[in-house]
Amino acid sequence: MKHILIVDDEAPIREILSQMLTQSGFRVTEAPSALQALGVVDSDPPDLLISDLQLEDSDGLAMISKIRAKLPTLPVILLTGILFDEEVVRDSISKLVTAYLPKTAPLSRVLGEVRRLTA
Amino acid sequence: MSPADTPPFPTAVSDPIIRRIVALFATVAAILVVVAAVALRNISRATASNDWVNQTHAAILELGSLRGSFLASDAALRTLLVTGSEQDEAACREAMSNLSENLEVLRALLRTDRASAPALERLDALSEGRSKLTRDALAARRGGKPEAIRSLVLADTAAGVTSEVRRIVEKLKTEQMALLAARDSEAYLQAQTTRWTVGTGVALNFLLLGLAGWLVRDDVRARRRAAEVLREANEQLETRVQERTAELAKANEVLRAENLERAWGAQALEHQLRYNELIVNSISDLVFVLTKAQNISRLNPAVTHLTGFETKELVNRPLQSLVRLGGAGRPAVSADPLAQALREGREYREADAFVKNRAGAETPVSFMLFPLRDRDRVVGGVVILRTREKGV
Repeated sequence: MKHILIVDDEAPIREILSQMLTQSGFRVTEAPSALQALGVVDSDPPDLLISDLQLEDSDGLAMISKIRAKLPTLPVILLTGILFDEEVVRDSISKLVTAYLPKTAPLSRVLGEVRRLTA
Repeated sequence: MSPADTPPFPTAVSDPIIRRIVALFATVAAILVVVAAVALRNISRATASNDWVNQTHAAILELGSLRGSFLASDAALRTLLVTGSEQDEAACREAMSNLSENLEVLRALLRTDRASAPALERLDALSEGRSKLTRDALAARRGGKPEAIRSLVLADTAAGVTSEVRRIVEKLKTEQMALLAARDSEAYLQAQTTRWTVGTGVALNFLLLGLAGWLVRDDVRARRRAAEVLREANEQLETRVQERTAELAKANEVLRAENLERAWGAQALEHQLRYNELIVNSISDLVFVLTKAQNISRLNPAVTHLTGFETKELVNRPLQSLVRLGGAGRPAVSADPLAQALREGREYREADAFVKNRAGAETPVSFMLFPLRDRDRVVGGVVILRTREKGV
């Protein structure tokens, strides 16, 4: 059973994602902050990371860099309410994360990306 | 498949069939009883007929013996009358005794035959006459009267007793033979009746047993068909239940996914709106959103902070009631440059503008109008006022 780590400071977002992924057969760990996420990575390394961009205690991309330093091959989905231009995604964001999804994307698309990256 | 499509379970197979089979076996039993009764009665009749035939045969034989005894007694008497010896006398007495015995036996054998009673009485009389003749002849012999003996014998010969006895015996034999033939025919008919009764009864019983067997086989087939239909119905029901359960599980899964999707959509929308609100509210410049008629539809907290008005007091008010364009002391511009800029879909900037607070005091600001576009259509405008005290 693949392990997914969800990092988001909004509890409803985490709960919905966790419920959807658990029903789809994944094991899910939630982290509301970057600090807790780094702790989870040390104690129970995930197979996939889903992270928001803006966290209460850190910048999401900075946290992803720290985690990638520990797990270089870890696939990462950046799931954020900030809508980037396609050009920004192509030239900048995609170099930092495996996939970028706006929070306005349907859950089915999020699940599709998770399945694709954990296959 | 709906419940109405389910094959009907054949319920009316058992009771009527069982009742019919019981009725058939009862009929078979009744026929057996009738056949047995008829057979027993006919056997009794046959036995009685057999006894009677044997009795008739015995009577016919006894008639023959009687005739012989009569001739023997006649011969013994004549011998005794010639010799007069004691030996011939004993023989004569024995012959007479045999004659009497023959008559007694014949009377016993024909006691139920009333038609032969007169003939038997006549034979008795002739036997008695022969005994009397014997006694009279012996007495005449012992008395030394040969003439008397001769006259007795001549009288007896003239009477034709022997011929009469032969005639009576022949007549009785003829009658008995006729009766024997009649009863033989009757016995044959009884035997035939018995054969037909038993044969018909047995055939009828076999027919009924065959019918009962057919009914049992038909009932067993019907029960097997019913069991098969029930088994198929159960299998179909089980399949339908499994299909329905799978459909429900799938529908439940879809519903749950849809609910999650809706919750996610609502959450994403709320997040997006809140985030946009956060951006606008974080700006320290005064921001107004205008309709095409230049009425205020939205403002940021910086406006209420600077003017002292509450949001509800400003929404739907004309921007001109709060903002004045043009330098202090200069006359107001006659043409409406904002309306013209919005019509043309272009920006409008003016360095000198004033915003009034609740007390009527004016604060100098720089004025910027940006057309608000929804796709290719201008639906309003965004006005940003920056206080000049900040040195912009």
